[in-house]
Amino acid sequence: MSNANILGDPNSTTPARTSGGWIADLDRTRHAGPFLAGHASAGQGMSTTAVHAGTHDDPRTGAVGTPIYQASTFVLGENQYQSVEEGFARDRFIYSRYGNPSQWAVQEKLAALEGAESAIVFSSGMAAITSTVMALMDKGAHVVASSDLYGGTYNLFNQEFPTFGMSCTMVDSYDFVAIEAAIQPNTQLMYFEAITNPLLKVIDIPRLAEIAKRRNVRLVVDATFAPPISMRTLDHGVDVVIHSASKYLNGHSDLIAGVAAGSRKLIDMIWPRLLNYGGSLDPHACFLLERGLKTLAIRMRAHEESATVLAHYLEAHPQVQKVFYPFLESHPDYATAKRLLKNGTGNITFVIEGGDAAALRLVNALQIPKQATSLGGVESLISLPFNTSQATFTSRQRSNVGIDPGCVRLSVGIEDAADLIADFEQALAVTYSQKEMSHA
Amino acid sequence: MRNSIPTAALSEFVNEVAASPEEALMDYGIEINWESGTRSRTETKPMKVGPHQVSRSFSWKSDEPRQLMGNNHGPNPQELLLSGLGSCMMVSFIAGATAEGIQLETVRIDFDATLDLRGFMGLSTNTAVGFPNIRYKIHVTGDATPEQFAELHRKSVAHSPNAQTILNPVGLQGEIISTQIDK
Repeated sequence: MSNANILGDPNSTTPARTSGGWIADLDRTRHAGPFLAGHASAGQGMSTTAVHAGTHDDPRTGAVGTPIYQASTFVLGENQYQSVEEGFARDRFIYSRYGNPSQWAVQEKLAALEGAESAIVFSSGMAAITSTVMALMDKGAHVVASSDLYGGTYNLFNQEFPTFGMSCTMVDSYDFVAIEAAIQPNTQLMYFEAITNPLLKVIDIPRLAEIAKRRNVRLVVDATFAPPISMRTLDHGVDVVIHSASKYLNGHSDLIAGVAAGSRKLIDMIWPRLLNYGGSLDPHACFLLERGLKTLAIRMRAHEESATVLAHYLEAHPQVQKVFYPFLESHPDYATAKRLLKNGTGNITFVIEGGDAAALRLVNALQIPKQATSLGGVESLISLPFNTSQATFTSRQRSNVGIDPGCVRLSVGIEDAADLIADFEQALAVTYSQKEMSHA
Repeated sequence: MRNSIPTAALSEFVNEVAASPEEALMDYGIEINWESGTRSRTETKPMKVGPHQVSRSFSWKSDEPRQLMGNNHGPNPQELLLSGLGSCMMVSFIAGATAEGIQLETVRIDFDATLDLRGFMGLSTNTAVGFPNIRYKIHVTGDATPEQFAELHRKSVAHSPNAQTILNPVGLQGEIISTQIDK
């Protein structure tokens, strides 16, 4: 059994060639996609885009919403064979490690939200990061990255790069002179995070983009802490934006996924690394991610609303020494945040009196936030850098990157601010009453 | 993928360059350091593909046979010249075949050339210092007719940067930066 129809993106066709011509006669040009170029946007607004882009009703039954294409493989016809032969297999359905309609639907939605020509979803944020970085770097290449990278990315650069003859220089993401000075003749990439973890530094991405362009280097930004409702990272001159989609994009703490989005040219270069490294996303996870994304705009507004109220509450609390929330005027990057972020997020980092022991008592006493790593879910999550994200650091190393004893990392969910404040009120009371008892 | 080249991407790149000519500008460089006797070591410099910096971490050695006062530790400069010429003609041939939809099975190019060292030695005024002539044969197996292959051969030489560099006058602008040491 075979199928003669175009099973994939009909805008993508084989280059026409005239016998006796040369390479310049090839007429295939690059388009957004797969599918994007042929699908008109349902609207301009981010919420409309979140709900409608990429999503399609079942063509056979009219069932509303993208069906879950839980298939590993597809019926082949001449059209697919030709796409393999001519090198545009990314635009046809062949095998789910290459592409699947459930992946395409959510990729289209993510590309539309980021204002990208193309996007690829991966089985984790790290799969997205590894595939992207390895696609854009060659043997012996060098990357300039921020010194407070996410631990998983740090491990990739620190543990895997030397095997490939690659190297990395890590620089303070505030120090633009040092960033530019770190660029070498073999530097191919600048790799930064839009908002850092856990101190929530808001990086001046337009300045990084200016340096990258002037020095002929590609700029990749992990915007996991700044989903497209907060910032359309590519609009600021970034070449590829990456997310751990397990966080805000999905928003329900019920799957692991990643995404890379950018120009069609660069995402097409990343696609063969998806095939080689094998980090493809399962269709059912694609369905969950697509469903989660539909409420991204409304969720981000709720995160901001509850987080802002809680940040103000914490800042006024006598036992809280410091609060880092980009939309608080006391935040070192308040001006940058106001300039770059269209919407706040749920991440608050704060430091309480009594060091890490007090912080442990606090997270144990809280009833609503779950003591768990990760972020961006509808439920509040809370964790301590000293025994999770920065557990491998010594206390001096933590102090060097600005993580003081008593530092707490909170991802505010979409719960009502009044309930969260009441919970913190009782938990802080318990935290310090126990401390006094222990001294008695 | 025909001949392991994505025709679609080749076509997209050609059309990208037609719209943005700066993407066609390739900056190359190598650095050669003398090691010992006739042996030297070449390293590639990072290159630029259009406006984008690309790492090129490759190196190789060149030497002369013992009969020519060397130690025979690597291909000699003439072999490297023929290799650079032939590899470029190969890329051109394969890309041209792919663009035309020709499936190749094997391609081998045999090069031969005779150099008269009297030119290098300065013994005779009538002898060319360089190769007066380079001979090659392309042995190809693939699904095209002999006429198509002949035409592909003609076009691939016409579009090969290294073949055209050898066939045409080229500027060679050099300077020397010297440091004198005590004898």
